[in-house]
Amino acid sequence: MKAECQGEKIKDAIIRADRITGKNLALPILGSILCIASGKTIKLRATNLSLGLEIEIPAKIEKEGVCAVKGIILSAFFSSLSKNETVILVGEGDTLTITTKTNTVVLKTQNHEDFPTIPFIEGEEIVIPHKTFTEGVKAVCYSASFSDIKPEISSVYVYSEGEFLIFVATDSFRLAEKRFKVKGIPEGISLIIPYKNVIELLRVLPEDNDELLLKFSKNQLALVLSGLYITSRIIDGVFPDYKQIIPKEPITTITVLKQEILQALKVSNVFSDKFNQITLTARPKDKYIALFAKNNDIGETTARIEGVIQGDSIEMNFNYKYFFECFQSINKESVVLRAHGEGKAMVITGVNDTSFLYLIMPMNR
Amino acid sequence: MVDTKQLWENCLAEIETNVSKANFSTWFKNTAIVREEQGTIYVGVPNEFVKDWLANKYQKLILKTLTSFSEYVRGVSFVISKHNQKSSGEHGFESKILMHRELPLQDLYINKEDNLNPRYTFENFIVGPFNELAYAAGQGIILKPGTQYNPFFIYGPTGLGKTHLIQSIGNAIKQKYIEKKVHYVTLEKFAIDYINAVQSNKPNSFKEKYRKYDVLIIDDIQFISNKEKTQEELFHLFNALYEQNKQIIFSSDKHPNYIQNLEDRLKSRFSSGMIVDVIEPDFESRLAIIKAKIQEQNLPITSEVLEYIAGSIQGNIRELEGSLNAIIAATSLKNRELSLTEVKNLIKNNIRPKKNVSVAEVVKAIADFYNLEDKTIYEKTRRKEIVHARQIAMYILREEFNVSYPLIGQKLGGKDHTTVIHSCLKVKNDCKNDPTLAEELERIKVLFK
Repeated sequence: MKAECQGEKIKDAIIRADRITGKNLALPILGSILCIASGKTIKLRATNLSLGLEIEIPAKIEKEGVCAVKGIILSAFFSSLSKNETVILVGEGDTLTITTKTNTVVLKTQNHEDFPTIPFIEGEEIVIPHKTFTEGVKAVCYSASFSDIKPEISSVYVYSEGEFLIFVATDSFRLAEKRFKVKGIPEGISLIIPYKNVIELLRVLPEDNDELLLKFSKNQLALVLSGLYITSRIIDGVFPDYKQIIPKEPITTITVLKQEILQALKVSNVFSDKFNQITLTARPKDKYIALFAKNNDIGETTARIEGVIQGDSIEMNFNYKYFFECFQSINKESVVLRAHGEGKAMVITGVNDTSFLYLIMPMNR
Repeated sequence: MVDTKQLWENCLAEIETNVSKANFSTWFKNTAIVREEQGTIYVGVPNEFVKDWLANKYQKLILKTLTSFSEYVRGVSFVISKHNQKSSGEHGFESKILMHRELPLQDLYINKEDNLNPRYTFENFIVGPFNELAYAAGQGIILKPGTQYNPFFIYGPTGLGKTHLIQSIGNAIKQKYIEKKVHYVTLEKFAIDYINAVQSNKPNSFKEKYRKYDVLIIDDIQFISNKEKTQEELFHLFNALYEQNKQIIFSSDKHPNYIQNLEDRLKSRFSSGMIVDVIEPDFESRLAIIKAKIQEQNLPITSEVLEYIAGSIQGNIRELEGSLNAIIAATSLKNRELSLTEVKNLIKNNIRPKKNVSVAEVVKAIADFYNLEDKTIYEKTRRKEIVHARQIAMYILREEFNVSYPLIGQKLGGKDHTTVIHSCLKVKNDCKNDPTLAEELERIKVLFK
């Protein structure tokens, strides 16, 4: 093959593709990026057999052809490439020669026949703003379970309801839900995307693009952007019916400034024990809530945060980590904590914000 | 038909020699034949990538290998199947069961609001002559909660499924009428709640809490005896709920009339709806219960053994379950059927020894109960309290231990058998009219269990 393209474009594409090449797998070919030069484009493909990616970049093709090269080497070379250079790729025999203004490298290629195909799926299609997808996933993905035992919950669940597209993740100790209003969203969307794939997707998806095409079948999902095609396995299962565990009638409502509670939590973390336990106490007659943490080896701390407290007095224990993590998804200045009694979940939302909901189970110790 | 499992194993062994190890483990691991239709073999694969690759790259090889083993095969097709992560065979099956057991998010789903245990349902409730009335009443309540039988009072000895029944009613109502608030509470918890509310000076929060329920289930109500304030509170709560046609369900180990120190107004209220008792199950019901339990576990246990268990463990279902669990554990440990002798050995401690008490022992126990010296019973005296104790002793000996009238007479100080007959009849008739006596008898009978 022989092809010529813009350095900046191919650099960006190679770096993205390398992120999802398969590492530490029995099949070495998965560590490669497949370059296909045909028509007016070069297609770069990479897969780890859970995710597949294809990026198309415009190029001047003099001779069509295919080759597979180790992704790690390609990305190492291209990351040193300075801007606005023209790159010429020449594949011959079992080598690929890359020529730039300043460099010429000759790389060993691998047998491209062994490179797996990437599934191009037929199925339902919807178009949503690209931002909706990335923000939705980012807002909830940290709550997904890390364990593989139950694949349904080590996933991010995306579904539609009314005119909302809703993202949910839970590991059964806490739950995060983010909803977006999307005009004309069809009913009945229900995708369970594995957590690990979601993280990779976020890394690969470029920042600025306004429309994202989602295609999905029973087992596979594809995201299509201009020149970019990513496909991921999805889980054919049923996400737990989480709505029934969201408590409705709070007995105590606390409103505090997000920045202050974050500060207090940071301090509490230093003192929390090996279970990350912190104790939250709120009494309506006080004008503050107290966060208490104690570690027998270090000492203890009580942080007081000013706030508005309505309802009954409460004292509850939480895992610091679960508490802390949700605040990254709340972009209001004040947060509302709603407690529903001992042993029951606490719900955290931003003030006047119905788009994000976080539910955290107390520790019973 | 082809034995697909064996076929695929043979086929994989063949393919393994033809492709590199890396390729084999990447593409062929976790595959299995899921079904076979008119000569087409459907191979289940874990995901789309594998499906594409096998179809494009290895279809010919797979088909060739398959046909070499079975002439029947005409084509091969690939489908994505969920369960092929687990290797086929018994091991896989076991681990699947294990996973199903561990997986449900129990913590999330046990509703602390109503205290009901989702395990208790009518699906696993066995109906026999001993509890069919209670069961029928329960079904009536589910149809028309609050109006059909209100309050519903069920009583009977321990371990006969009272809790199971009332919780099942709660669960069924919860399922049928989503908007109804069901609450299950033991009397002990109810009393503690009340005490806490009084202690923290918030008696109203207690009242409000319990009055908002549409169905209130109170278990083991007999423990309310001697708790005067709790009784009063329950009385008011009862009235409030009853007026609004909210269903109230009680369970107890005695008839309300025999609950000690229970205020009359509560007694009469308990009795105003439907009172049913559950008695000990008969042989057939016990056998049915055991069979149902065994079916859940899917274990090989011979009908001989089942009948032995049903015959030897009488009365309490809970004890029956205990013995059964021991047998189930032993069977799965040894992984084979247990012989009758092994079963006998295993549960010999669970079987209550046949009552084998001497007359003297019975008399002693009854004398102790009435705070008398046992020898006074044998004396020829007509002191009222002694006569009473003696009559009770005769009655118990006759009714519980089936001792003959002449023998009783002879043992208890040389009385004539007609005297004994008279005493037994007298006690029998008296206790119909006198609840205190009936209760006394109940308490004495317990001494010999």
